[in-house]
Amino acid sequence: MDYFLLLPEGCVCDILSFTSPKDVVISSAISRGFNSAAESDVIWVKFLPDDYEDIISRYVSPRIYPSKKELYFSLCDFPVLMDGGKLSFSLDKKTGKKCFMISARELAISWGVDTPWYWEWISHPDSRFSEVAHLKCVSWLDIRGTIGTQILSKITKYVVYLVFKLTKDHDGLEIANAFVRFVNRVSNKEAEERASVVSLVGKRVRRRKRNVKRPRKRVDGWMEIELGNFINDTGGDGDIEARLMEITRLHGKGGLIVQGIEFRPE
Amino acid sequence: MSSSTKFLTLKTCDDKKFVLDEAIAVRSQTIKNMVEDDCVSNVIPLPNVDSKTMTKVIEYWKKHSEEGISKDMLMDFDKAFVKVHHSILHALILAANFLNDKEMLDMMCQEVVDRIKGKTPEEIRKEFDIKNDFTPEEEEEIRKENAWAFE
Repeated sequence: MDYFLLLPEGCVCDILSFTSPKDVVISSAISRGFNSAAESDVIWVKFLPDDYEDIISRYVSPRIYPSKKELYFSLCDFPVLMDGGKLSFSLDKKTGKKCFMISARELAISWGVDTPWYWEWISHPDSRFSEVAHLKCVSWLDIRGTIGTQILSKITKYVVYLVFKLTKDHDGLEIANAFVRFVNRVSNKEAEERASVVSLVGKRVRRRKRNVKRPRKRVDGWMEIELGNFINDTGGDGDIEARLMEITRLHGKGGLIVQGIEFRPE
Repeated sequence: MSSSTKFLTLKTCDDKKFVLDEAIAVRSQTIKNMVEDDCVSNVIPLPNVDSKTMTKVIEYWKKHSEEGISKDMLMDFDKAFVKVHHSILHALILAANFLNDKEMLDMMCQEVVDRIKGKTPEEIRKEFDIKNDFTPEEEEEIRKENAWAFE
């Protein structure tokens, strides 16, 4: 006997809304009854971020969704631009936690402005943003992105990635330092001291150094390299900064296309 | 309200009577409303609850009304209380829903949540004796549409 059929439908929805998006989708394959309950707005509105209405009001091109479930999956599968296209927002499908990517234009890139012989700004067909930063050649490589912790999901471990591509003639990007720090709590100097070593180049590097983080290919065709991670507790920790730099070895570096820096739940 | 103990008689759907201290019985918002609206004659009928379930509910109410009981002891009691066959779990949810005892309802629902989380559809069906009423094609379709969740 299926005791769930005896429960009021609202009760089943309440129960499902205390699981996770992934569990609800799995539940929809149990039986017809669960399949119908798993469509409920009551459930999916719980998986949307608390401030989803505020976020939606900041969209570049607002849309209307027929159900909360459709809104949820649209936010997972199609990142939307907000704040005039400076930031993209999406949800992590399994947990419903918030992901953000800061566009290259909003990053602090040394020699990135008004010096097109170092960095130039171009449009890119694969980019979600209108412009990407193309590094032609520079010796002082320094890219920083900052986001407020209050906008991120609470009690969540975030990993920060630089999202990029390499051109065919890239050069000098085999080694760099990366770190993530709470701006109010950790000084730049302290963070630099415990920076991790990363390589933007995949396989061609000889394995001389251990613990060198390597890039991964993303499903959207871009590459990503982890810059660091942190735990966002209550969202009351002020700004968090992620930085990629190579300013000690001043050889020429070039052939890098930066889409942005992504803050993604682990 | 008088300070002396008042008793209420509750009658379950299988005609069993339970005499209970009013102070305990009003953990049920439904009963509390009846008492406050003066709708209580001699016996309060509970047409949606059977005696077996009501015995469990009263056991829970009494434990949670005990004076001087520690939080740890209550937690241990609750933990043991919810470890029952799913048929009893469901009966208790229906009873808590009808009696409008939100604390108890939340606790029972949380137990169902814990029994669903992280499981496959087959495991959930087994846990709760749920019949798979999909055709194989329908089930395949749902799994295909949501392949990310079934990986």
